[in-house]
Amino acid sequence: MVLVLALGDLHISHRAPDLPAKFKSMLVPGKIQHIICTGNLCIKEVHDYLRTICPDLHIARGEYDEETRYPETKTLTIGQFKLGVCHGHQVIPWGDLDSLAMLQRQLDVDILVTGHTHQFTAYKHEAGVVINPGSATGAYSSITYDVNPSFVLMDIDALRVVVYVYELIDGEVKVDKIDFKKTTTTQVAH
Amino acid sequence: MRPAAPIEPTLTEYSSVDSSPTRLNPEGSASDNRRFADFRGVRWRIDLGILPDSSSIYDLRRVTADSRRRYAGLRRRLLTDPQNGSNSPGLVMDNPLSQNPDSMWGRFFRNAELERMVDQDLSRLYPEHGSYFQTPGCQSMLRRILLFWCLIHPEYGYRQGMHELLAPLLYILHADVGHLSEVRKLYEDHFIDKFDGVSFHESDLTYNFDFKKFPESVDDGIDSQISPLKVSNLDELDPRIQDIILLSDAYGAEGELGIVLSEKFMEHDAYSMFDGLMSGAGGTVAMAEFFSPSLGGSHTGLPPVIEASSALYHLLSTVDASLYSHLVELGVEPQYFALRWLRVLFGREFSLEDLLVIWDQIFVCDNTKLNKCSDDVGSSVGVLSSARGAFISAIAVSMILHMRSSLLATENATSCLQRLLNFPSNINLKKILVKAKSLQVLALDVNNLTTLLVHPGSFEPSKSVVVRGHSLSLNCISPRTPLSLVPESYWEGKWRDLNKAEELKQSSSDKQVPDRKKDWSEKVRFSLSRTESAPSPSKVDSSKKDPKLCVRRNLLEDLSRQLGLEEGSEKLRCNEDLGPKDPTSMYVEVYGQDCIGKNNSSTVEERCLSGNAGSEESNSIFSDSPSPNDDENQSERSSVATNLSVDENEDESNNVESRRMHVEESPLPVSDSPEDASWKSGLNRDSVGKTTARLDSSEDVSLKSGQNNDIMGKPVAAFKERKLLSGKFQWFWKFGRNSGEGTSERGVSEAIKAPNSGNDQSNTDASLTVNGSNSSSVSSKGDAVDQNVMITLRNLGQSMFENIQVIESTFQQERGQVGSLENFSKNVLVGKGQVTAMSALKELRKISNLLSEM
Repeated sequence: MVLVLALGDLHISHRAPDLPAKFKSMLVPGKIQHIICTGNLCIKEVHDYLRTICPDLHIARGEYDEETRYPETKTLTIGQFKLGVCHGHQVIPWGDLDSLAMLQRQLDVDILVTGHTHQFTAYKHEAGVVINPGSATGAYSSITYDVNPSFVLMDIDALRVVVYVYELIDGEVKVDKIDFKKTTTTQVAH
Repeated sequence: MRPAAPIEPTLTEYSSVDSSPTRLNPEGSASDNRRFADFRGVRWRIDLGILPDSSSIYDLRRVTADSRRRYAGLRRRLLTDPQNGSNSPGLVMDNPLSQNPDSMWGRFFRNAELERMVDQDLSRLYPEHGSYFQTPGCQSMLRRILLFWCLIHPEYGYRQGMHELLAPLLYILHADVGHLSEVRKLYEDHFIDKFDGVSFHESDLTYNFDFKKFPESVDDGIDSQISPLKVSNLDELDPRIQDIILLSDAYGAEGELGIVLSEKFMEHDAYSMFDGLMSGAGGTVAMAEFFSPSLGGSHTGLPPVIEASSALYHLLSTVDASLYSHLVELGVEPQYFALRWLRVLFGREFSLEDLLVIWDQIFVCDNTKLNKCSDDVGSSVGVLSSARGAFISAIAVSMILHMRSSLLATENATSCLQRLLNFPSNINLKKILVKAKSLQVLALDVNNLTTLLVHPGSFEPSKSVVVRGHSLSLNCISPRTPLSLVPESYWEGKWRDLNKAEELKQSSSDKQVPDRKKDWSEKVRFSLSRTESAPSPSKVDSSKKDPKLCVRRNLLEDLSRQLGLEEGSEKLRCNEDLGPKDPTSMYVEVYGQDCIGKNNSSTVEERCLSGNAGSEESNSIFSDSPSPNDDENQSERSSVATNLSVDENEDESNNVESRRMHVEESPLPVSDSPEDASWKSGLNRDSVGKTTARLDSSEDVSLKSGQNNDIMGKPVAAFKERKLLSGKFQWFWKFGRNSGEGTSERGVSEAIKAPNSGNDQSNTDASLTVNGSNSSSVSSKGDAVDQNVMITLRNLGQSMFENIQVIESTFQQERGQVGSLENFSKNVLVGKGQVTAMSALKELRKISNLLSEM
């Protein structure tokens, strides 16, 4: 069993001062094995902070990131699942499922994690999953000011992935759970 | 019975493979007669209080099933799978990032942590035994059991070593199942057919069935007809086999769950055994206590394992004081090695096969608290207060005793610990167990005494665990020793009595002698068995070892003879004790006016007192080993003085005679000092007795010979003498060390004593002190007459010269005898020793010439 934290669009020091305190207290080292970040951390300090939670950090580059060495897209394999990460501002229309599904096929991944819209979404699509963890700090986006801080924790175990969605609504952390099962293993056979 | 014949060999064969008690058990017969002798797992379960010790198979099966059900419930409750428990309503609480420790995920992470720790140890568990313990099945069983136990007992948690306690338990269950299948093969018909037989009540059917099965195993036709006939009736079977069949009958009480020996429920059984072992099942020896860092139920304010290990030292101190004081002197705290021994019940020191035998013996012992008095007094040394605890510490002590000689040979704590922690693997297990059995009685006795004594405030609950207990310096009286219960030691009493009226002395000695004697003989018996059992090679002086060894053997024989005598009549001992007393009292009377004599006696008294105080157990025979030495020295000294005819008189020689008598018995306690460590222990003993630093030889001299002069008020002479003597003595010590043999021969002893190692030391001592005493007596005389320093020195030189002559003549004689020495083994050394001795004498002669010329 592997716990993978997915978060992004922090926009720290530009649009938000820091992660919400309640999130920070939950994110303790020792539990999470991988972090997938959709980008827009903006400053290096956030990168360092994420590394304190878990050293295995995978970041795609957002349009506001100071660090230019982050890749546009990145794929990694965890257990039997292949994961892809992309910030999402390149995929137009923004947040469109069909466009994202195109990217998912392009990257040949089971789970695609994107950001940019600052809205949590999770779609099951063509035997794969497309997840948007939203903005971890609740920073406004270019589309809307009405953003709740949220991030996603994926529990990957064999052919099953349980997605825990953490959302801060009115100062309370709400947790939701979505279950996905991978039906065929042929996709990752290569 | 005929049918039993083919089975018996197989059983014993199996058990020998399994090294079951039938082969290695020192009291094989006793344990063989017990039920389920072949099934260690069942036996242990009864001993550990998991199964009732009842005769009814039904009870056994019922209790077995109950314990299995308990474990199954536990397992259901504790095995958390957070993913499957997804329907829990509070997702806010039950999510992977939850901070709530009671949440499923919180538990899950804790368990995972624990499992990692357990796994680290399990992967290294008996790696050479790979066949069983490293199999994934066994590993996961061990892991689960440990995990559950730790979860149930969060106050202890998992500690390294627990897995080594569990592993043998699982192993014997595994072995039992294997054994069962062997038996099952032999009695296949019974295991299979019973139900059929019962249901049909058709005996013919069964017979025919049996008949078909048996011909392979039986040779001739007649037997084949007889054997099925007999075996077919369950009641006629060997009761042991009958039990086995009933135990493994799937249709008995509780059905399949009640099968006492079942591979399916090995994990359940192992857990209940482990739990029983750890919690002690209501008894005193709860292994879990040994892992707990907190203070146990005891009042001593120490972790139980520390307490237990100091109890172990305590037992050692009563059994073998010299070894004990050696260890204490080196600063080897008992917990340094006992922690490891006790926590895994010697699992690291013995091979698995041997360990099973040891555990057999341990578990057989009763675990209920023995002494009733401990309840009101409040505390006893926890581990010793049951038969099982006593036996555990007895094993530990016998292990120490097994390494006795090599331990005594060590010179620092590191090497000593090294030997303690690397217990030899090629040991005679039987001997250790037999010795432990005999020590167990003593351990219980000791414990009883301790309970009375320990309180209150005898233990300082000091913060640092390491500092307390056995780092007590030798000179302070340990409050812990039960032996100080006895109002006064023999020697103490004796010397006190000397200054008192006659009748007082009489009564007190009468009082003391009996119990002392008993103690003594007990002790000697121990030392006898020890020396007989452990003639382990000495590392220091392998060349010297042999002669001494055989001498020691002789001495042992004498000793045992004497022992027998003593057991017969206490009178003899009384006489011996009283015998020397009268002359010594005369001695005191005569010398009462004489200030020299007074000083002498008083210093000796002091010495003895301090000796007794110093050695931690005052009534043990070992404690007076310093005092005999002293006495010996004294007597030798004075005898030489008479030989030289300075001015001492019949009284002194009288005294000498009486002392001789004394000396004859005094070597006995000394005799058990092992050959290799003789020099060292001799030193120790001396230093204990005199409470002076041994290394400083000038100090020594001042004690031995200088006192008189000091008191006589001739500081100048005394000082000069002492200086001279100290130089000489240093030289002499070296000399004595190099050629103990030669010196001892030369030693004034026309003596009757057998030259064992202890005597060697004392003789050396004696001959060394000769000079000192001579000079002192001479000087004191000279001082008394005219206070001329020169005369003193000249006298000294003269007496020295005479002394040398005496020594040389003895030497010449001896050289003549060399060929026909009874002690043939000495030949090797004599040549070398003589050369050194002669050169030493030459040196001496030079000095004496110098002195007399002055």
